[in-house]
Parts: sequence; C-alpha cells; structure tokens
Amino acid sequence: MRPLSEQSHYEVLEIPRDARSDGIERAYRLILATYSEQSLAGYSVVRGADAAAIRERVETAYRVLSDVDARRAYDAALSADRRVEPSAALPEPVEEVVVHRAAAAAGVEAFEDFEEGGEYDGARLRRARLRRSLDFEEISGKTKVNPSYLAFLEDERYAELPPRVYVRGFVMAYAACLGLDPVAVAASYMRRYDAEQPRQRRRFSRGP
Amino acid sequence: MTALVGTGVVRPGRVATGAPARPLPIAIPVGGGKGGVGKTFLVANLAAALARAGHRVVAVDADLEGANLHTCLGVSDPGPSLADFVAGRSDDVASLLVETPIPNLRILAATHGHFEHPQPGHSERVRLMRQLRELDAEFVLMDLGAGAHPAVLDYFMIGEGGIVVITPEPTSLENAYSFLRAAFYRRLQLAMLSHRVRDAVTLAMDERNERGIRTPFDLLREVRALDPAEGARFVDTMLAFRPRLIVNEARTAEDVKLGFSVRSVCRKFFGIEAEYLGYVNHDDAARRSVLGRRPVVEVYPRSDAAIYLERVARKLEEGLVRRGEGEEGPA
Repeated sequence: MRPLSEQSHYEVLEIPRDARSDGIERAYRLILATYSEQSLAGYSVVRGADAAAIRERVETAYRVLSDVDARRAYDAALSADRRVEPSAALPEPVEEVVVHRAAAAAGVEAFEDFEEGGEYDGARLRRARLRRSLDFEEISGKTKVNPSYLAFLEDERYAELPPRVYVRGFVMAYAACLGLDPVAVAASYMRRYDAEQPRQRRRFSRGP
Repeated sequence: MTALVGTGVVRPGRVATGAPARPLPIAIPVGGGKGGVGKTFLVANLAAALARAGHRVVAVDADLEGANLHTCLGVSDPGPSLADFVAGRSDDVASLLVETPIPNLRILAATHGHFEHPQPGHSERVRLMRQLRELDAEFVLMDLGAGAHPAVLDYFMIGEGGIVVITPEPTSLENAYSFLRAAFYRRLQLAMLSHRVRDAVTLAMDERNERGIRTPFDLLREVRALDPAEGARFVDTMLAFRPRLIVNEARTAEDVKLGFSVRSVCRKFFGIEAEYLGYVNHDDAARRSVLGRRPVVEVYPRSDAAIYLERVARKLEEGLVRRGEGEEGPA
C-alpha cells in the first residue's frame, strides 16, 4: 500500500513474490486493460496522464518479471534492499498484508467452483467460463471452435449446431479449456442433447 | 445452500453478570452510491440465502427515503418500522423486527417514514447502530440506499466489511468511487485526534482543494508532515478499511473482470484494499422474482442468478468460520 513510485514490480502487477509465469501474464493483461484508454474501471478516477504512467510502470515490471534472468537479478536486488531498509514508506506489517491479499487473489480465477454433482447443461458451462473470466474469443483461440458455436452450446440451441459428432467434440474441447473433465462433461451434456435435440429439430424445421 | 457452519453454536442467553452471553452478529452494510444497481435485491437475496442455510438473519432497510426491502422479501405491510425509532415512538429496535415468510429471517422495515425528516440525527444513529450490533442474530444485513449522506456513511461503518455494489456502467463506477472515497474520509475524520489533521481531512474532502490533495496518499503525506503520530493512525485506518465489491448484472467475461479492475484502482489510487466478493449475472429470473415479490434464491433456486448469489452468501458465511477460529468478528 505505497504510492506507485515506491512500489516494487510485484506490487505494480499486484502479484505475490512467488507468482508463476502464467500468473504474471494474467496479471499483466488485466492491469493493462484496467488502465487502458477505454477502461470502464478507471472511469472518473484515472486520468489520461496517470493511466499512461501506470502502463509504463506495468510494462517495465512485466519486462523484468517475465524474463527469468532479469527476474532473478531483480529479486536479489530487492532482498538486498530489504536487509538495509525494511520499508521506505510504511511499517513492515503493511507490506505483509499487501502480499497476503495479493496472493489470495492474484489472478482472475479467484472464484471457487462449488457446484458438485448434477448435470452439465449450457448454463453450467457458462458459469464455469465466467468464473474464469474467459470470453468466447479466448476459448475459441484455444479450442479452434467457432465462437458462435460456443454460444449455441451454452444457450443449448442444438438446431443451430452441426451434426452430433461435432457437438461432442466441441463440448470436450470446451470442457478441457475450462479445466473440467472432458469425458464427464461431454457425457452429461450429450444426455441432455439426445433428450432435447429431436424436439428442437422438429420445432425449427417446421415451416411458416 | 448447505451451511458451512453449524447453526446451533450461537445461543442467546445471559451469564450471571447480566451481560449478553451470545456473540454479536456479523453486520454487513450494503451500499454503492448509485440507485438502481441492485442493493435491495442483493440484500434480500443474500439474507434469504443465509437464512435458508439455517442462520438467524435480520435484514435492515436503512433506506428511509425509498423503502422497499420488505416488498422484495414478500412482506406487504410490515407494520412496525425503523421510522418508529426515528420518530421517537419506540426506543427498542428489536421490538420493531417483523417475521418474513422465510424461516430464520426477520426484517426491520423502513416504511411510513417522515417525508420532511426521514433520517435520524447523529445521536439516534449512534443508538440505532449500537442496538443493531446487539441484535439476537448471526447476520445483520443492511440495505443503505443510494447516495453518500452522512447517515449512509455512518451505517457503512457498522461492520468492517461493507459491501459496495457496482454494475458495469460508468455512472455506477463514478458513484461507487465517490462513495468509497467519502466513506474512507468519514472514517478518517472520526479516527484522527488532532484538530489540524481533521481540518486537513476536511480540506481533502473537497476534490478541488487548494493544496492539490487528490488521493489518500497525498493526504497521508500532509498528515505526516503535521503530526507523525497521526500519520501512524492514518495508516491503521487505511488498513482497517476493507470494503467488499459485488458486480451485479454481469453479462460478459469483461463484466466479471471489472471487479478485479476496480480492486486494482482502489489499491493504486486510494490505498484501499478492497475484496472482490463475487458477481451476479444478468438473469431474467431475477426480474421475475422481483415481480413476484420473493427472493430469487427461494423461487428459482436453480437459476443462474440464484447460484451466483449463493456463492456470495457462502463467502459471507466464512465470516462465522473465521470467528469460530478465533478471529474477532467485524461487528
């Protein structure tokens, strides 16, 4: 909890000292988006010059922390600094709190999965996706499944989807991308699909 | 929702000295500055979710100028209300509680308020908050209404973990930041002892102040220069202020991320460590439940909105677990 000018690279990116590379990457993207020109989060508080200054600090922090050698050297310098002067601005407990809080929610995946049992329907897939703060484009980038099809899967608009074999493949890829068990999710989802799909197909194929 | 903790651990009763033997309730004020962001909806549903999990809950409508928490909880005419306390007709808040159709959940409604003098004065507010903190319940959730009136800011201090509700709209963000800033400065005003430092805080509350104090960090510099001991108190106050955020009406992954981004802005610009408690998505079931005047967690428990609300309620339950493990409660 120090002014930006006095913050370490870790504090700037709001990550714990032991953050892994994927956590650093995620935090970097989130903070860049937070302080972008069009950011909703900064509205009325973050002015253009402030945002530019933060982005510059974020870029520097990311450059150092995403490079293994540069990070090691920086960590060594940081530890040496600490030995000489525990905290330039505030008493030590403040920093402990900051690091603890940052560790508790370093990324954007801080929300628990507590839905146990039950079937995997489209709404549950959507909840799992939102919990991970992923949008269709990001999932599509990883799975190569068209974003429209991902939306149809969540909305259970089966008639808009290609034949069954593709649907199962989409569900498995989607589940794997969310870190869920692809086989279990696909089995559950396809049971609903099989029960509902003929009815929907009939409804959609009916002419005016 | 399955309760995380047992409900029988807290029993009212009195020890030989006459002091209350039961723990104080966890008080959770819910504000956010802007009207229409869903504060009442969230209070009604979080209270209902906690009550359905077996906890004894009181929902308090502190919105004396726009009372409708009772309607969201299926109480059409509550009868006694907080207005009776404000008008001096009753001095005992506990006697004004009314049962709701949901077991374990009572409400202190805010109907029939005085049009000209709806808000209690400062001394009444102090008495009200003391009595609310001593209610026989495990949770007291408070719907604060819109704005940043001194009464609203005082109510927000009833617990350490007040909730600020935001929606993914610039108007909501603008009001939420103003609210957080005002709540923080209000806390500081009460915490600082030196007149000179209090004057500096008052000055900082004017966003266009002549000394160019824009953020709490700027103010901290000023306070330290005036009085180093007050500077330490300032830091303590900063650390103790832990508002929690809920994003309501989330539609996209960007909306979900908004809570993390707002947390970052709070940290970098206000020095405030906010916690992102969760989000509730936009769901037609929520609207239908309001039309039916019942909480969505009760009438559509399998809806998206209900599932998200229950997740937030589970996080609130963790307050009881932490208390059970020895951490002092926020009441």
